[in-house]
Amino acid sequence: MTVLLNTVISSALAGLLNLDAVQAFQFLLSRPAFVGPALGLLNGCPMEGAKIGILLELLYIDFIPVGGVVPPNGTAAAAVGVLAHSAGGLPPSLAFFIGLGAGVAYSSLEYRLRAARSPWNVRVEAQVAAGDFNLSRWLASAMFAESLAMALYVLAWAGAAAAASRLPGLDWLYPGTDFAYSLIPWLGLSGLYFRFRAQVHKKG
Amino acid sequence: MLVSMFLRSFFIQAGWNYERFQNLGFAFCLEPALRRIYPDPARFKAALLRHLAIFNTQPYMASFVLGNIARMEQEASASPSPEAALKNMPGVKQALASSFASIGDRIFWGRLKPMTVQICLLVWAAGGFYGWLLAGMDAQVSAALLLAGPLAGIVFYSAFSVYWRWKGLRAGYTCGGSAACALDSADWPRQIRLLSTAGFAMSLAIVVLSFSLLIAYNRGHVTWHGAAVRLALPVMVLLLHRASRAYGRSVFFAAGVILAASVLLFSLIGLQPFKLYL
Repeated sequence: MTVLLNTVISSALAGLLNLDAVQAFQFLLSRPAFVGPALGLLNGCPMEGAKIGILLELLYIDFIPVGGVVPPNGTAAAAVGVLAHSAGGLPPSLAFFIGLGAGVAYSSLEYRLRAARSPWNVRVEAQVAAGDFNLSRWLASAMFAESLAMALYVLAWAGAAAAASRLPGLDWLYPGTDFAYSLIPWLGLSGLYFRFRAQVHKKG
Repeated sequence: MLVSMFLRSFFIQAGWNYERFQNLGFAFCLEPALRRIYPDPARFKAALLRHLAIFNTQPYMASFVLGNIARMEQEASASPSPEAALKNMPGVKQALASSFASIGDRIFWGRLKPMTVQICLLVWAAGGFYGWLLAGMDAQVSAALLLAGPLAGIVFYSAFSVYWRWKGLRAGYTCGGSAACALDSADWPRQIRLLSTAGFAMSLAIVVLSFSLLIAYNRGHVTWHGAAVRLALPVMVLLLHRASRAYGRSVFFAAGVILAASVLLFSLIGLQPFKLYL
């Protein structure tokens, strides 16, 4: 019961933190480096949460949200990764790779949510032309929809991870995922190194 | 008025859409200024509708454009021929949005954001936590330290972003009306170079620290052959990432190769897995 409650609270929190990614503030509270340890603490696994979070951050930092590009979602990745471990009972290595996939898959949902707001422009213009100048309710609706979508998405993945953990014979996979997981820090570090090395060579 | 616009600027992307990008947020941020400038509801309505047009820039740097446009609207409202005064506005808005997007993307997304990760790793290293690197080294560390790393990065980054949101708004409002307004607020190329150099120095420090830890934890525990394998693997991962980038593949491709190879070797073929650290 506690695990279920924590999972629901964590999903809702992920939904709120996700607003920071694009829609509100942008203080980087939505980044996996913060979401990982924060949800890890909430679910009794701060160390695993921090590890999953920072490794996802190191990989996700490669993507820059310029123009209309929808990069893989770090909040979804970290939240699913932590919950796949804490609620799903999967080892951190497999939970990490599930989170990685969940973050990538979320970008198509995010694309649809953004695209769904395009028809709003005509409606907002009609509303303003009619003398109703309240724009905040459109923005609030957009934030509510994104937050809810993220919370439900994370909850669904956590449920799927919990179901997957009951599959018989799944543990044959763990030696492979554990070894791959031990190499991921180096992959992340290389991304960090090459990013700045290229910038220094380009001289700005 | 500027304070209200500043507070609203934190929501400039709340209604982001593919048709007109940040237009809803831009109009929302500008609304307090327009209300003050145009007490007449008909003129206020026309102004608000004007700013529901397409708009897109880097979100933190949007403040420069907001301040500028607020000043332009103010001057237009006081002008005997507002149409002429407003004629240049879309061009100025577009020119500033493009210029500041380019600067903001380089500074915030390209440099400061990755630097938050470096700060996190360095804070953790200073606190003695290397668990993120050393798989299986699970010495207990305090939750405060685990949170201090990312929070230090967030505070560092947010100090810059909040500062430029406010300074941009004021600078834009002060010199509003020109397509080059406030572009000289800072020596941007120098700032970008400094951040690149600082980021590279921190990257280098973290990579050297990581390899030093790899050597320190294996020293005296493995044979020369074992040590060579343990050092070669991270180097191979670095080269794999380098090759992926050279062929235009993302980091996920490299992660996928590592996962597939590991599952093949240690799960399917059944080789005995080993730890990078002893």
